[in-house]
Amino acid sequence: MQYLRMVRLFISTAIQNMLAYRLNFWISLLHSLLSFGTGVIAVEVLFGQVEAIRGWTLSSTLGLLGTYLTLGALRRLFIGPSLEALAGMDGEIWTGKFDYTLLRPVDVQFLASVRLWQPLALLDLVLGGGVLIAAGVRLGHTMTFADVLSFLVALASGVAILYAILLAFSALVFWSPGFLYTWLFNALFQMARYPVGLYPGWLRLVLTWVVPVGIMTTVPAQALSGDLPAATLAGSLALAVVLFAVATVLFRTGLHRYASASS
Amino acid sequence: MLDRRRNDGVFHLDYTGGESRCDQESFYIGETMKLRGGLALIKATWLSWMQVRSFFFLLAFGWMIPPLIYLFVWSTAAGSGTVGGMTREGFVAYYLVLIVVNQLTYSQTNWTVGDVIRYGGMSSLLLRPLSPVFDALSSEVAGKVVYLTFVVPVTAVLAVILRPELHLTLRNALAFVPAVALAWALRFLWGYSLALLAFWATQADALLALQDALIFLLAGQVAPTVLLPGVLRTAALVLPFRYMVGFPVEVLSGQLDRVGLGVGFAYQVGWLTVALVAFLVIWRAGVRRYSAVGG
Repeated sequence: MQYLRMVRLFISTAIQNMLAYRLNFWISLLHSLLSFGTGVIAVEVLFGQVEAIRGWTLSSTLGLLGTYLTLGALRRLFIGPSLEALAGMDGEIWTGKFDYTLLRPVDVQFLASVRLWQPLALLDLVLGGGVLIAAGVRLGHTMTFADVLSFLVALASGVAILYAILLAFSALVFWSPGFLYTWLFNALFQMARYPVGLYPGWLRLVLTWVVPVGIMTTVPAQALSGDLPAATLAGSLALAVVLFAVATVLFRTGLHRYASASS
Repeated sequence: MLDRRRNDGVFHLDYTGGESRCDQESFYIGETMKLRGGLALIKATWLSWMQVRSFFFLLAFGWMIPPLIYLFVWSTAAGSGTVGGMTREGFVAYYLVLIVVNQLTYSQTNWTVGDVIRYGGMSSLLLRPLSPVFDALSSEVAGKVVYLTFVVPVTAVLAVILRPELHLTLRNALAFVPAVALAWALRFLWGYSLALLAFWATQADALLALQDALIFLLAGQVAPTVLLPGVLRTAALVLPFRYMVGFPVEVLSGQLDRVGLGVGFAYQVGWLTVALVAFLVIWRAGVRRYSAVGG
């Protein structure tokens, strides 16, 4: 299929690009280790003081942290770089370079979403996966095939929700060029580090219904500790589908407002 | 699209002729045009300021989030009881003060010093009859004003919603002022010295990221120092990072007795002296090594 071939090309270009800057590997490794280390220590410090908070123990919160790190890694790997180049600081919509994307004979949303890859994010992915495995071992209950499957489905819907929100935030740039919506999202995304249940009621509502960053990590983490109701999983999947559709419509509507940047 | 052109400064007002004529009608047209033009210019300037300011507000918002997360997590953990002797209201007060102190002492300029050195911008700064550190200091002050116009009102609103409990004594309030000033000086000089390592290494910014991580862990962000487990607490008390953020917050929220206060100030002054010496040494050696890039 044409699109898969293109994705392969994008990846190989990204790898060639990465190899040109060797020192970046070490810097990136340092950053990955820092975000991993501070995340784990923060959870350890918290549960050094209390046994459990609203049903969340050290092990299940580590599972959530693992999910958060994994989602962040996937975002840095293939969704983030393209959308940041599109709508971030000096993004293509602002500078008018988006013209070149529009002129290509492929789907605009596809090209705008997965064109740039960051292979160094695989380091984050390994560390995030490590936390997930450690949490799984600590939790101690034997995971059946169904458990693993529901975790993977929950994680996949988390990725879809993440993509949809990021796309929607990026699309808002068509209405107010210059405002860094993706940075606003970065700030909100950090809230997904902890279970939504640990936030006060009003914030929990916001993180569930308004900007559902809480759902992305809480649901897979529940699946990992084996107390995910089937209805919640279905709800998360449905949310992913709905958000994906809404974000796509928003992006395509915004596209009509794009008027390049010259003259 | 029109707004963008205005912000780029290419917005032109065309009203030629109006004033040179003497008849009433065109005089009025000229005046209204002038008025409209003037208003448009004001609006354009305002918009471009708003745009730049929204950028700074966004940065400040991003910096607020981590302490805010730990505010919520710890106050949920405390519930209606206490954790490590602190109540829910105590945690709220601690972290709200921390948000403001963190913003007051955070020196964003340290991140730009490296670029100034790498791209050769240091050359023109060196030609001024002032030490280039004043350039960083002036942006520091300007930045603080802009950031605080965002952070202070937001913190005030949060205080109304979350109901902190702060037992303010005169001694603590008086000690807070020098504690914040010293914390800012320490954090600024320390970061500036690290950034100056760009004279030798192109990727010195990585050290600033390391410093931010250590501040997150040891300066009272992830938890108040008293709640840190053994090794981390010792590290926090001895290393300079607590004295950049956490110490003034502990002073104001009344977590320190007379001895703790004295020891804290001693550490703060001690580390500030170290940072000052380090800055002078690195600066002298670095400038000698500096050779400008570009023409």
